[in-house]
Amino acid sequence: MEAYLVAIAIIAAIYVLLTLGLTLQYGLTGLVNFGHVGFFAIGAYASALISMQGMPLVVSFVCAAAIAALAAYPIGLVALRLRDDYFAVVTLGFSETVRLAITSEKWLTNGVQGIPGVPKAFAGMGIGMAGAVATLAAIALACGVAALMLRRITRSPFGRVIEAIRDNEDALRALGKDPARFKIQVLALGSALAGVAGAFYAHYITYLSPDQFIPLVTFYVWMAMIMGGVGRVSGAVVGALLLMLFLEGTRFLRDVAPDLISAVDMASVRLGAVGLALVLFTLFRPQGLMGDYTRR
Amino acid sequence: MFGQLLVAGIVHGLIIGLAALAVTLVFGIARFPNAAAGDTMTAGAYAGLVAHKASGSLLVAGGAAVAASGLISLLGYLLVFRPLARRPVASLLVAAIGVAFLIRAALGIVFGHQQQVFQVPLAWPIEVAGIRIPPMDLTLAGVAACALAGAFGVLYLTSIGRQMRAVADDPDLARVSGIRPMRVMVTLWLLAGAAAGIAGLMLGVKTVVAPEMGWEGLLSAFAAAILGGIGSPVGAVAAGLLLGIAQEISTPYVGFTYKIALSFAVMLAVLLFRPRGLFGRVEGVR
Repeated sequence: MEAYLVAIAIIAAIYVLLTLGLTLQYGLTGLVNFGHVGFFAIGAYASALISMQGMPLVVSFVCAAAIAALAAYPIGLVALRLRDDYFAVVTLGFSETVRLAITSEKWLTNGVQGIPGVPKAFAGMGIGMAGAVATLAAIALACGVAALMLRRITRSPFGRVIEAIRDNEDALRALGKDPARFKIQVLALGSALAGVAGAFYAHYITYLSPDQFIPLVTFYVWMAMIMGGVGRVSGAVVGALLLMLFLEGTRFLRDVAPDLISAVDMASVRLGAVGLALVLFTLFRPQGLMGDYTRR
Repeated sequence: MFGQLLVAGIVHGLIIGLAALAVTLVFGIARFPNAAAGDTMTAGAYAGLVAHKASGSLLVAGGAAVAASGLISLLGYLLVFRPLARRPVASLLVAAIGVAFLIRAALGIVFGHQQQVFQVPLAWPIEVAGIRIPPMDLTLAGVAACALAGAFGVLYLTSIGRQMRAVADDPDLARVSGIRPMRVMVTLWLLAGAAAGIAGLMLGVKTVVAPEMGWEGLLSAFAAAILGGIGSPVGAVAAGLLLGIAQEISTPYVGFTYKIALSFAVMLAVLLFRPRGLFGRVEGVR
């Protein structure tokens, strides 16, 4: 039972990291990133491949963050010239292209067979619970640092600029600020968070394959962010926990009553529930559960 | 070999073109990229499949696909997109993804996840100038031509079509000129749904019917809509053909999986270097 709780907590914390990244990009800056899973995938594969070359995990984690941030740079350059709706389509296309590249470039990623045997984090602590608990501690620490960083950002001049980009970019331009630099920095930073989340995922699950990085993951994160409350750090955490409750709840339902519903049907039910949540929240509660009620 | 790929490319291009027509109409008039267009296609394919099994006629299947997709498209508008009309575009985008997931989930539950095929009779290919053309390709091209003729007829020969183009041009001006937005929007969503339905039916006949088929074709449809110039129906179809042919002809060189990546590359290049696309008008913002 403890092992199960620790496992859920680790996955939940990975979603918290992803949601914090998206909160920075969309919640604070208004960048409609529909390709979050692409950066998550880049971080996961980068860290797995680098660590399997014999590098220590510290190095591979830093590389995962750096490579994900670097991948965001060209997307950022494109973003500067695009309106929200086009940017959403481009990022969605980007994440699909990343998945296709992972599927096709077998020499690097082993294609659809995937990469088994990614080194487990804290493997030196034995095979019992100690390693998992240490992983949980590390990722909780990462979440804490990221949340603090976001909180600092919202109270800094940088944070005021990016929120101004979200609220009225033209006014910001008129005041003599250049939104370009800020947008690129925000994209890179949010993607670095997704990259770190990917690294944690890779070294916890220890097996990677392209079908773990479908666009549905991006919209799990969107659902978490919208449920919690757009643009709120606390909302990101609450939303990710609610998402986890939903994901595990549907799995639990299947475990207690396997005859009730088949595995593939359950996948459809989950997909439908995510869709319904996205529609209903945007329609009736766009500010989420813990959202900022001073604005719409 | 080249000729064979060209024929396959044209049929595939007509499918992309019809889907892009659905995307570009909504993008031009309701002003957001409708991510649910792909799954509306899937709904059309399943409706066509059921009708084809029951009747054995491709014509009946086409009617069922148009009816089902048009209905779903209209329902999406009335229940979700209409209440969100005055919201920021990000809300519409997220809601469209939600609608897409809902449609796909419903289809998955009702029809299961097994791939299904249209039971069409096998026929010897017709040989024209050394190129073998399967008769089914000719039939499908005919279906697409009829659908396109219908759509363009509505857009360019009827009063409601003129009103739609006026709203696409300048919604405020259209409104003060006495054009009723509700009628225009209902026609728009029916027309876009019908185009997507025919595209789904064709894709289903050509390949297989599965819940993911439409979503996987969505990126190509977006790319064609952008390449053709947002809001330009002629551009969408021309760009769809171009993209379909390019995808088929490049397959021997870049491999099967990178076909979709080609759409992405085209889309990026167009957005960066010629954002109004091939046939679009110059717009202040993109």
